Amino acid sequence: MRIGIDVGGTHTDAVILNGDDVIAATKALTSADVVSGITNALDTLLNDGAVKQSQIETVMIGTTQFTNAIIERRELAPVAAVRICLPSGRGLPPMVDWPEDIATAIGRQHYLLKGGYLYDGWPVADMDDAEVDAMIADLVVSGVKNIAIASAFSPMNADPEKYVAKKILRAIPDAKVTLSHNFGRLGLMERENAAILNTTLLPFAEKVISSFLKALTNRGLTCPVYISQNDGTLMSADFVSAYPALTFASGPTNSLRGAYKLTGLKDAIVVDIGGTTSDIGVLQGGFPRESNTVIEIGGVRTNFRMPDILAIGLGGGSVVSDDGRVIGPKSVGHRLVDEGLVFGGNTLTTTDIIVASGVADIGDSSKVAHLEQSVVENTLARMHQMLDQNIEMMKPGGKAMPVILVGGGSVLVTGDLQAASKIYRPENAGVANAIGAAIAQIGGESERLMSYREVPRDEAIAKVTQVATERAVKAGADFATIRTVDIEETTVPYMDESTTRVRVKVIGEIA
Amino acid sequence: MKIDVTHLDDLALGSVFLATGGGGDPHVPLLIAEQVLAKLGPVDVIAPEDLADDAFVVTIGGVGAPTVSLELLPSLDDAARTLDAFEEQVGRKVDAVASFEIGGGNSLLPLVAAAGKGVPVIDGDGMGRALPEAQMMSYAIAGVKPTPAVAYDYEGNVTSFSTKSTEVYERHIRSLAMVSGGMITTAEHPMTGRELKDSVIPGTLTFSIELGRTLRENRGSSDDMLAPLQALFENSIYGECRNLFTGKVTDKATRITGGYDVGEATIESFDGTGPTLNISIKNEYLLAKLDGKVIASVPDLIVIVDYETSTPINAERLRYGQRVAVFAVGCPEFYRSERSLKVVGPRCFGFDLDYVPLEEL
Repeated sequence: MRIGIDVGGTHTDAVILNGDDVIAATKALTSADVVSGITNALDTLLNDGAVKQSQIETVMIGTTQFTNAIIERRELAPVAAVRICLPSGRGLPPMVDWPEDIATAIGRQHYLLKGGYLYDGWPVADMDDAEVDAMIADLVVSGVKNIAIASAFSPMNADPEKYVAKKILRAIPDAKVTLSHNFGRLGLMERENAAILNTTLLPFAEKVISSFLKALTNRGLTCPVYISQNDGTLMSADFVSAYPALTFASGPTNSLRGAYKLTGLKDAIVVDIGGTTSDIGVLQGGFPRESNTVIEIGGVRTNFRMPDILAIGLGGGSVVSDDGRVIGPKSVGHRLVDEGLVFGGNTLTTTDIIVASGVADIGDSSKVAHLEQSVVENTLARMHQMLDQNIEMMKPGGKAMPVILVGGGSVLVTGDLQAASKIYRPENAGVANAIGAAIAQIGGESERLMSYREVPRDEAIAKVTQVATERAVKAGADFATIRTVDIEETTVPYMDESTTRVRVKVIGEIA
Repeated sequence: MKIDVTHLDDLALGSVFLATGGGGDPHVPLLIAEQVLAKLGPVDVIAPEDLADDAFVVTIGGVGAPTVSLELLPSLDDAARTLDAFEEQVGRKVDAVASFEIGGGNSLLPLVAAAGKGVPVIDGDGMGRALPEAQMMSYAIAGVKPTPAVAYDYEGNVTSFSTKSTEVYERHIRSLAMVSGGMITTAEHPMTGRELKDSVIPGTLTFSIELGRTLRENRGSSDDMLAPLQALFENSIYGECRNLFTGKVTDKATRITGGYDVGEATIESFDGTGPTLNISIKNEYLLAKLDGKVIASVPDLIVIVDYETSTPINAERLRYGQRVAVFAVGCPEFYRSERSLKVVGPRCFGFDLDYVPLEEL
């Protein structure tokens, strides 16, 4: 049996899964110390004694703690960024286009060094040991312990990053170092940004992960613990201590994966309706479709693998205009229980409309009895129109598709959606995130630019697959179960026609 | 007029509109230009007609494959050093610099060069939009030779060119870009003030800033954007501006053929009724067909924008499901001559049809 836990900003949800069956589920408030929120949830799950601690084989945790820390600019440690790229890129230092507040929080300490490679493996410059040593001497004096290292084309040749890291660790043995090539994708500035965001979270990650482990041991759970990452796969808890940034956006991913598990639908649209937004995502083959654009986290451009989510301002707390024709994007959010009409407040919200329509019984329905029928009808029509139009934008093809509704706000959908071939409202949809965490597997990904003229296609794909597999095994996957789930080949414009960017993703069961 | 840091966002936004789906992401050139202009101050803009006939002008920009060179970041002084190398090569100081192409990141590089060298930048460019090859530039069409030219790479290596034809020059600089990490800066098409006046697409630099400002200030539904855009284009070298279609992208497929990103996008009305619009893509949006009938074609500009915000969408980023509006804008008169259409007409992109001006369709 497995336990899945989702530690969100507001709620900590937990489920016990036996194979495919949800045996127990609970929702508790997230506590400031994280630990007691998790122990409370575990208490509810385990206290009736139906399931014993010893029966639990693994615990999977999904968390938004790290995303929230970046967005809210808290728990950020000072970072020194080292980029190996000179003589290219002079004058475009690390963090050059970051929002001022987060750059200041992290500090703008950076170093540019000679070295790195071009796309074809030619060195940008030879590394200069004297330059590296001078940089390290300065690091030692500055006292910064968290260091991000990026070099040009490191996804293809990571030697410069490894070389500098080794020298730094020799001089500063307790330094925490992130190497950008571990974030795979091409795009030096975006990959470097990812490495810096990761580095600034390292001290917080140790704290959070040890809180998780402490909460579990407190309740007698000593089985292996995994944390879910943004592509719906898992990492071992140790691994997350070194790569907290890989958890970014694991919330929406788990919600999509949970929706898949609850319905068994591999290809569907998932609409997660919360208090402020409706997050629309797409399941393809049981996994979230990934976004192909530059992803900003807290205003910083990155190259993270993220599910393609369209968030629209429609939730259970969205504010409705007097005539019912305009909804959101303003929302009363978690203050719904004070400000919504049915709770005795003064703001007309979508929840009030649903109560007035008679579909749901929430709060005091007499407080919305005065609403005119036309206002209720206008609002209902507008809500369905908003969802229809935006689902339509996300759909991968012209045909209507199954739509899975999850999240507390899914009561807002009272009628049909044109874009939906059928609407699903699975039981336990409220804990979809925790279920998504509990069913995750372990993945690995790698990307390279190759010339099929020099390396035949089959051999090129095999090479990239091998690196992806090594990454998955390192993250805790069982080698024997690893299978390739995605091969992406992109030919590069203007170049030799056989120059192709190859990206491979593999997935395996927990070892 | 002077261009300072505060104009750059608008210039970049306007340049993406004029890039008609191609031209590349101006993000990195914008970062470079912001830093250089913040450090060195504003750049003087000179209208072509104010240039002396015997002035010496050179065009400058980046050449290569952005997808390959994305790990090869430019340096702040690449553009100015390219000009230094050019001046040394020809043994003469340049009086002003001009842009190859106003569409995309190459709208910004001449400003960086001009700031670095303390010379003015010409208000105009060699395309009035984005086009994929050197021989399609108005300078080349008007008979200006691309060489003597120099190329400057990330390491400061300088290569000089003296070629027999523009086509050969194009082949040579592409090959050089490939062995230089995928991107080089070139100073090319040197010419006199007189030659520039006869070949430049005038006013496009300041126009692109105005266009970006219009898009920013009126940000919102493309239905509401049409009127301000028409007001702007009508009083410019472009003229006609139409909203060809509004709807949803129902298909988009491209693949690389002969160095181009070639394919097609299909757009249907929001409610799925009525005619269908097809856009042919070859790096840029080149042809718009409504139920099979051509309603706009290259060299007129075809621009796809996000329906809700009117933000132009690059061809690489266009995908199924997006709600878009398609605008068409008449190209500058220069490109409507027989001489120009021989090089940039629909046939030059493999379409079996003759160009018909937007207003006559």
